Amino acid sequence: MMKEGNFGIREAVYLTILVLITKIFYTSIRVVVKTTGTASWYSTLISCVTSIVLFLLLYTLMKRFPGKDLVQIFDKVTGKIIGKILSLVFVLYFIYYAGSSLREFVEMIKAYNLPYTPPSLILAAFITVIVSLAYVGLEGISRFAVVSFYPIMVGILAILLLAVPYYNFNAIFPIGGYGISKTLSVGLLRSSAYTEVVILAFIINSIHGVKIFKKTGLISLGIAGIIISATILCSLMAFDYPQGGENVSDLFQLARIIYFNRFFQRIESIFLFIWIMASLVTVGATFYISLSIFCKAFNVEQHRPLILPFSFLTFMVALEPKSLTEVTQRNIAFVRTYSIFILYLIPIFVLLLAFILGKKGAETKHAKG
Amino acid sequence: MRKKKTLFQNLLSYITYKEKEPIKEFYIPEINEKESSQDQGNIPDHTNKGHERNRGIIKPVPVAEMRKEKTAGQNQASDNTVSTNIQQNMDYINQKFNAPDNKDIIIRQFTIAKRYKAFIAYLDGMVDRVTINHFILAALMENDDKFTNGDESCQLEFILLNVLQTNQAKKLDTPRDVIYEILSGNTVLYVDGCDYYLVNETKGYDKRGVETPQVEGVVLGSQEAFNETLRTNITLIRKYIKNSNLTTEFIRVGIENQQLCAVLSINGLTNPAIVDEVKRRIKSIKSDAILGDGMLEQFIEDNPFSLVPTMLTTERPDRTASHLLEGKVAILVEGAPFCKIVPISLVSLIHSPEDAFMRWPYGTLLRFVRVFAIAISTLLPGLYVALTKFHQEMVPTDLLIAIAKAKENVPFPTVVEVILMELSFELIREAGIRIPGIIGNTLGIIGALILGQAAVQANIVSPVLIIVVAVTGLGNFAIPNYSLALSVRLARFFFIFLGALLGFYGITIGLALIWVSLFNIKSFGVPYFSPVAPKTSRSADLFIRYPVWNQEYRPDYVNALRKKRQTKISRKWTQQNPENNYDREESDDEGR
Repeated sequence: MMKEGNFGIREAVYLTILVLITKIFYTSIRVVVKTTGTASWYSTLISCVTSIVLFLLLYTLMKRFPGKDLVQIFDKVTGKIIGKILSLVFVLYFIYYAGSSLREFVEMIKAYNLPYTPPSLILAAFITVIVSLAYVGLEGISRFAVVSFYPIMVGILAILLLAVPYYNFNAIFPIGGYGISKTLSVGLLRSSAYTEVVILAFIINSIHGVKIFKKTGLISLGIAGIIISATILCSLMAFDYPQGGENVSDLFQLARIIYFNRFFQRIESIFLFIWIMASLVTVGATFYISLSIFCKAFNVEQHRPLILPFSFLTFMVALEPKSLTEVTQRNIAFVRTYSIFILYLIPIFVLLLAFILGKKGAETKHAKG
Repeated sequence: MRKKKTLFQNLLSYITYKEKEPIKEFYIPEINEKESSQDQGNIPDHTNKGHERNRGIIKPVPVAEMRKEKTAGQNQASDNTVSTNIQQNMDYINQKFNAPDNKDIIIRQFTIAKRYKAFIAYLDGMVDRVTINHFILAALMENDDKFTNGDESCQLEFILLNVLQTNQAKKLDTPRDVIYEILSGNTVLYVDGCDYYLVNETKGYDKRGVETPQVEGVVLGSQEAFNETLRTNITLIRKYIKNSNLTTEFIRVGIENQQLCAVLSINGLTNPAIVDEVKRRIKSIKSDAILGDGMLEQFIEDNPFSLVPTMLTTERPDRTASHLLEGKVAILVEGAPFCKIVPISLVSLIHSPEDAFMRWPYGTLLRFVRVFAIAISTLLPGLYVALTKFHQEMVPTDLLIAIAKAKENVPFPTVVEVILMELSFELIREAGIRIPGIIGNTLGIIGALILGQAAVQANIVSPVLIIVVAVTGLGNFAIPNYSLALSVRLARFFFIFLGALLGFYGITIGLALIWVSLFNIKSFGVPYFSPVAPKTSRSADLFIRYPVWNQEYRPDYVNALRKKRQTKISRKWTQQNPENNYDREESDDEGR
């Protein structure tokens, strides 16, 4: 078994929140605003609540097998072969997630800041950090998350607060958006935007068991939901829903319109800094999780030799789409709309199977929880 | 005629060829280490237990000793046994110190009470002659009347108890330790017939006095610094900690130079695991020479390849004392005016001893200034390059115009300008340290003049850049730890490069890389970023310095045996009534 080290609940919460909210820097807000209009800010809360419900189901599964992570549970419930296949699905998903996020990041930074820099250089620099994060392991990633958490939160708060003069409260009306049914259906499906919390199920032994798992998951989902909803609300008020649905990154636009006087204006440098940091945490964590799942599934003790091949795979996924449009249309739309079926429904299916087959974890290990 | 001939010969010598006499030049021959060590294996005197290395030289065995070797084998003076024969012991010491080639070793023979043959041995210059003359030699040679028993057996015990007037004297029966005592400046006394020596404390070599700190100056606070004498340094610390549990353990390091190294900790407060680990690492060093704390640090630090130091270096006894009282371990090396403190975290390097001596608002302000200084001196030139090269739109327009105007006549790209100026600045700093004292101060002014005024006038660099470099330099000087300041200087060039290559993005990537590397290092088992990451319990002495009466706990990461340093209410007087007290009433203000 690979040794991943331990960390506390605070680190776990910071890490999960960052992985969950990084999407607000990207095109995510635009998509929600476009599909649900003025109802988008509470549509995401519906997603959040759905995700919490699904997470609790996942918690039921984890509680049934105390002291075991999701990979071991797959093996135990579905047998070694199917279990490994299920784990591989997660490995592939997280690599795909890391690669897509990376590409989205590169496209945006090219559009906004470094138009003349070759994308391969930007990618290489980013992957260097990802590789070194994966090299130091989960403890290093969690500490990185802690240190970058505060600047990122302060940065988001600063952007949202400094843009107050541009908010038009009436822009959130009509509050119903495109109708309840549309809001609900999108809200339920978009709970995929909160699926990253599943990573906790794979590192459950590093965060001291199921109780902390539940607590961490719920706190992270709650706070992430509030942050994402607040950002969408602010974007709606600042840009109205027609324009909000057109911006590539609403948060970036918010940072851009800030103008107090000639010397205090356009604070996108803050945005740039926190955006890169958040992306590093997210891609680094998901990249590491895919490595970790692979190692756990196939009993590889050392994850370090696998870093280079996995980084190559991520690089490939990142370079595969032709343009930003393709990235957002295909990858991101897929990841943030349908990942629910992979990340939540597979474990729930396994839970049902465990109920039917009557499989349960050993009671003796309960103490660990 | 003769003179003429000489002149002719002289003239002839100008036009004729004369072969030069070949000059023989010196070279260092290679000595096969294997052969020499095999040769040495034959000589029993050189086989010791690792304290001395075979030096590849075969020492001649004196004829007298060869004879004795054949006759009395049981009394042979060796590294492990003291002979009962005075001549053999003198020969042993002479041989160990390569006398008579080596003129430093002094063996003074004399007779005690006209009966007992004796000698003292010491190293010239290392000892205090007054002590030897008045309290060893005079005491031994003038007190004949004390030796009344007429006993012919060993008299050293009697001498130790009744005759010697030195403050420290102890018996030693291991010749290897005797040699070490002589090397340390002590005087050994031997009396014929005994199988041990007496060692007298007579250290008296020249040393520097206790002076003011050169590297860690403070405004409010003690003005004493360590010097090169280990004993003085320990005394300076003891002045601050009058606690019988303050324990000093000595370890010899360096096979050839056998430097004395002291490990200080407070018994019952410091976690013994830290002390054991420090001792384990120091004892395990197998190297010829450890010349100071800086070398020792490189041998025992956790991460030799990290950018930042993982041990705190201080020249201040008060700072050492405060860390010892927090449950840390101090390491001192003879000959080095600095102390190493372990384990530490990054924040300890940002603290200054002054912080604790000042009221908390001032201490906190200074800490923030220092954090700001680190940020400035690491990032400012890199940010300047990134801003002017990639992100002009982020600069307010008026400022941008000012920068552009200043740069208009400069022919170089910004990054070349920055590197040029930074290198020049590094040159001034390095030259400022190496240059002889008197002109050292002047150099700063000359350097500033040349680099600043002249470079701007010649349109080599823009004036804005001069401001950037100057502020960066100032920031660097505000960092309280010299090693950290050096690592910041290194990191600065890294950020200039990244800023020029990838702008803000590159700088953020660089920051992330440095952070990741910092998260991965430990100082004697303590993660470098604690107590921030990993998060341990709240600290009252991190960035915001709480009032001293509010700092109830020692740093969590050292796992001290007593975590609490004071009670919750340490200012008991706040709960008591003053002796002269009164309840203020409204009538008190009447008539005012």
